[in-house]
Amino acid sequence: MAPEPPLLTMSGITKSFPGVRALDGVDLDVQAGEVHCLLGQNGAGKSTLIKVLAGAHQPDDGTITWQGEPVTLKSPIAAMRLGIATIYQELDLVEGLSVAENVHLGHEPTAAGFVVRGKASRASTAALLKRLGHPEVDPARLVGDLSAAQRQIVSMARALSHDVRLIVMDEPSAALDPDEVDNLFRIVGDLTAAGVAVVYISHRLEEIRRIGDRVTVLKDGRAVAGGLPAKSTPTRDVVALMTGRNVEYVFPDRPLAPAAGTTPVLQVRGLARDGEFEAFDLEVRPGEIVGLAGLVGSGRSEILETIYGARKPSAGQVSVDGRTLRPGSVRAAVRAGLGLAPEERKAQALLMLESVTRNVSVSSMSRFARVGWIDRGAEFRAARAATRELSLRPDNPAVPVRTLSGGNQQKAVLARWLLRGCRVLLLDEPTRGVDVGARAELYAVVRRLADEGLAVLLVSSEVPEVLGLADRVLVLREGRVVHTAPARELDEHRVLDLVLEGSPVASAGSPTGSGGPATGAGRPATRADRSATGSDRSATGSDRPVAGEGSQAS
Amino acid sequence: MTQPVSPPRGADKVTPVSEPPAWRALAFRADVRTLSLLGVLAVLILIGGVTRPDEFLDTRNLQLVLTQASVIGVVTVGMTFVITSGGIDLSVGAIVALSSVWATTVATQEFGFAGILFTAVIVGVGCGLVNGLLIAYGGIVPFIATLAMLASARGLALQITDGSTQVVTVDSILGLGERDAYVLGIPPLVLVFAFVTITGWLVLNRTTFGRRTVAVGGNAEAARLAGIDVRRQRLYLYLLSGLCCGIAAFLLIVLSGSGQNTNGNLYELDAIAAAIIGGTMLSGGRGTITGSVLGVLIFTTITNLFALNNLQTDVQQIAKGAIIVAAVLVQRRTANTT
Amino acid sequence: MPQFTSRRGLLFGTAAVSAGALLTGCTSNESDDDPAAAEQTAADDKPGKAVTIGFAGPQADHGWLNAINQNAKSRAERYEDVTLEITEGSNDTAQQIGQIETLINKKVDVLVVLPADGKALTQVGLKAMRAGIPVVNLDRIFNSPQAYRCWIGGDNYGMGLSAGHYIGEQLKDKGNARVVELAGLDNLELTKQRTKGFDDALKNYPNIEKVARQAAEFTVESGQAKMAQLLQAQSNFDALWNHDDDQGVGALRAIEQAGRDDFLMVGGAGALSAFQAIKKDDGVLKATVLYPPTMAASAIDLARALGQGKGVGGLAEFEIPSSLTLYSAVVDKDNVDQYMPTGFK
Repeated sequence: MAPEPPLLTMSGITKSFPGVRALDGVDLDVQAGEVHCLLGQNGAGKSTLIKVLAGAHQPDDGTITWQGEPVTLKSPIAAMRLGIATIYQELDLVEGLSVAENVHLGHEPTAAGFVVRGKASRASTAALLKRLGHPEVDPARLVGDLSAAQRQIVSMARALSHDVRLIVMDEPSAALDPDEVDNLFRIVGDLTAAGVAVVYISHRLEEIRRIGDRVTVLKDGRAVAGGLPAKSTPTRDVVALMTGRNVEYVFPDRPLAPAAGTTPVLQVRGLARDGEFEAFDLEVRPGEIVGLAGLVGSGRSEILETIYGARKPSAGQVSVDGRTLRPGSVRAAVRAGLGLAPEERKAQALLMLESVTRNVSVSSMSRFARVGWIDRGAEFRAARAATRELSLRPDNPAVPVRTLSGGNQQKAVLARWLLRGCRVLLLDEPTRGVDVGARAELYAVVRRLADEGLAVLLVSSEVPEVLGLADRVLVLREGRVVHTAPARELDEHRVLDLVLEGSPVASAGSPTGSGGPATGAGRPATRADRSATGSDRSATGSDRPVAGEGSQAS
Repeated sequence: MTQPVSPPRGADKVTPVSEPPAWRALAFRADVRTLSLLGVLAVLILIGGVTRPDEFLDTRNLQLVLTQASVIGVVTVGMTFVITSGGIDLSVGAIVALSSVWATTVATQEFGFAGILFTAVIVGVGCGLVNGLLIAYGGIVPFIATLAMLASARGLALQITDGSTQVVTVDSILGLGERDAYVLGIPPLVLVFAFVTITGWLVLNRTTFGRRTVAVGGNAEAARLAGIDVRRQRLYLYLLSGLCCGIAAFLLIVLSGSGQNTNGNLYELDAIAAAIIGGTMLSGGRGTITGSVLGVLIFTTITNLFALNNLQTDVQQIAKGAIIVAAVLVQRRTANTT
Repeated sequence: MPQFTSRRGLLFGTAAVSAGALLTGCTSNESDDDPAAAEQTAADDKPGKAVTIGFAGPQADHGWLNAINQNAKSRAERYEDVTLEITEGSNDTAQQIGQIETLINKKVDVLVVLPADGKALTQVGLKAMRAGIPVVNLDRIFNSPQAYRCWIGGDNYGMGLSAGHYIGEQLKDKGNARVVELAGLDNLELTKQRTKGFDDALKNYPNIEKVARQAAEFTVESGQAKMAQLLQAQSNFDALWNHDDDQGVGALRAIEQAGRDDFLMVGGAGALSAFQAIKKDDGVLKATVLYPPTMAASAIDLARALGQGKGVGGLAEFEIPSSLTLYSAVVDKDNVDQYMPTGFK
């Protein structure tokens, strides 16, 4: 397929973040004028790879060859100078500047050192926009006033305003209507015809079949297949490559007799928030772990936070031991015995400047205080007892919590609720940013807490985690529970099917992706997919920590 | 039903609690910070001792420096709490002005000592309450809310005085600022300052209120999700700052024997500067009363040194700026190398 | 705060203004220049042509400025033929310009302006003059003599001179006399002028040495703080000049707190509290040098004379002068009763 030397060759690219090896010797070669697709589950390393390519991350190891010459991409500017442009998912436009100013940002046309405003810049921008099929976008308008699709066009115009040889597009179709997708493909066609290479990332196999030339599949930071023909490789093979896993977590055994007979400690009735989720019912009994599976945007985190009172419901109620909680009050929830280990541990749970002790005791301070006066000895002893119970390392709660690993930080959060004596534990992505070894331990801790009588509600974007840890699973899709079943009656494919319901990857087996169970592919599938790609997580569940994909890396 | 932490299980043997080593390491690091400030102060004292030995190294001068530090010192203690919580209070100077003016009107003075003290404190607390309500429940950012309070309180102070100076005629007030009232050689103002400082230190470091303040400043969202009533805490914090301003206003009335709408000029900047030099983080989450008070003492000592050496305003301002930068650099350097 | 620049009679009648003044000058019978203007019978009690005077001043955030407004108002009330259009005081240049332009549009007969900033308001002064409205510039002087018909103001240099001479005379017979100066806000030019006048006067007395100077900020608080330091720095001295009676309240407080009474003190400006202390004569404050707020009353007189086309009584001129610098009188125990009514709070 490639008589001439490749435009770009990346070989043995390795990149680690604390606790996570995001890329592990990835090879990739791209020919001029081809559309090279990158496929992989969330956490497979796609985002990290394109950030290396864009000069935003420096690889720990590996070489990059550009038009036969070895290069180092020290910075985004260096990459741009070579002719590599990247259009990120989260568009990096300045809302307060005009379209033309955004397009020329960083390389403004100057005369005698002054930025030239006005006509010339606007005219060249208008020409670019016209070439991109959107002549209606006024170069003088503020980007903040544009629609999502228009912004993407502006972002693309910005890429094209350089002398570009390679464009990386990270899920460009996610925010687009079908018409706009057609236009996008036309642009891609024009570009490749002019000899520009496109690295195209998408979850939609259908798209890849339409415009792709070759496919590289990433999994667990490795390229498991490189340069497959995009149009002829069977979907089944692609999916198998993406989902086949080699790391198996050890999940603790479930109790033989689930706590069915006992009265539920947490009851949720008709809980709803406009635009997020609706009519959510739930009961959790002591000793039971209930899992919520769903995509980002399916409302899982929102449900958890609403139960916890961190968001105010528009309808419904939450009760603990039959007593209804004041809606929208975290304090009421905490007092009733709820505890939350939130998704963003550092931003939402931890006081990073403080010691483990203080992080653990923060929700139970008054227990160690007399008229506000804290008995620090008692506090320390209690915090140590709680952290020892969870085998938190190091075994010294006086150390600053920021020095702990992700898994131990999570244990500090759990210890907080353990110390508080909470009855219902809400876990949102409990193993996010936790390395593989520590996960099994964390699972065991959660199961043990449940065995001791806690009710646990678990949210995770990693389907195997939900299936492995929970007793019962609720599958969410677009804010509604679409299925409830004991975990042992479900498997990953079934859950993915339910979660995606009709999106091409899930409907493996139909080559075009249009003959799957949900043929109404147009609207709902697009939306489900869009939410799935919202933050590059969880389209199909993942067996790698997500952190390496960028959230932690930054 | 509630099950507080169960006793440690398994093989972990329960060792009796002594202060673990890491705890000491942390305490030591905090001490290094304080030591560097004390070092700066020592250098200033050395300069004073060399340049004006007779006037500087003198009990009266010590009394003078501490007295002059008292008013702004009390304000700074309140400010330290607010900054530690991630907020800012730009209205402290204006509240001091308004309190001092309200407490010295002819009508107030008729109620004598108690009337003046009560009014000063109540006006301060009242302004703090307004700040707190606007910020905690009105959702206005502290910078804007307290800026508005700054303007309004100064305006109200001007309206009350009409620009004139309200001289205090209550003898018991005036007497408190004179030498006869010194307790074992300590001016009563300094005693109040010391009391506020010690109370502030204890509250910040040893109480749930202090913990909540630090938690709110360190990570307000985490504090909220941990079950802390962040809004109520914010309200209390601005109330506290207002209370400190009211106390400071009373001290200022005693010190200057009058109330004037220009009182407390630029206190906000002095208090913020002293707190920051002391090691309180402007972004919140870490605060030190000891550091703040040392910051105030450093400032006051500088002013004293300048006056004793008859340096003029231009030189004073240049030197003050340089010393602020030097103090922060020294502190950062020592904190980093440890 | 008082004026920024001293123009000691340097101004000539370059203001080629005829606008407000009639060609035929009637002599007015005003006996001017008594600072106790409030007590003085008004210039020409016989009602003349009705005159509308526009008055624009800064915000009265200081006792002296408040007294300026009061003097202007009460003086205008004495004349049946004078209507005073007074604007709300403002320290904001743009706002004050707007206020003055409003007065111009209202077609007042004469303007009296005490600018927040003399330099910045020169243009609007010029505009008024071009519109045929004569301007009486009060205290803080405009940049250009064309921007006013008449300037009247205090004498900062003269204050320093008066204070220096008074202290010099008191300490004449004392060998190696030591003097201390508590200045006002150092950022202001007027503070420099006062200090210069003081230094120049002291040069006449070789036995006197100025041993220390510190600048306060015209506030009680700063007066107390700076004076306390000065007292600590100088364990003995013979005289103190304090630029401003407002900050003097604080200075006196510091002196009291330090228990010092071994020197004489001279104040500045002429606050009521200072007059009262001088009269009582039980403390260190023995005299104060004036920067009289009665200048506002005189400005109203001048404006009225301009509006009615009269001159100033007691002078042979047909027209009022283009510049009037007021004398900085020394008020001590002997003449304090006379000045008492002019003291400001």
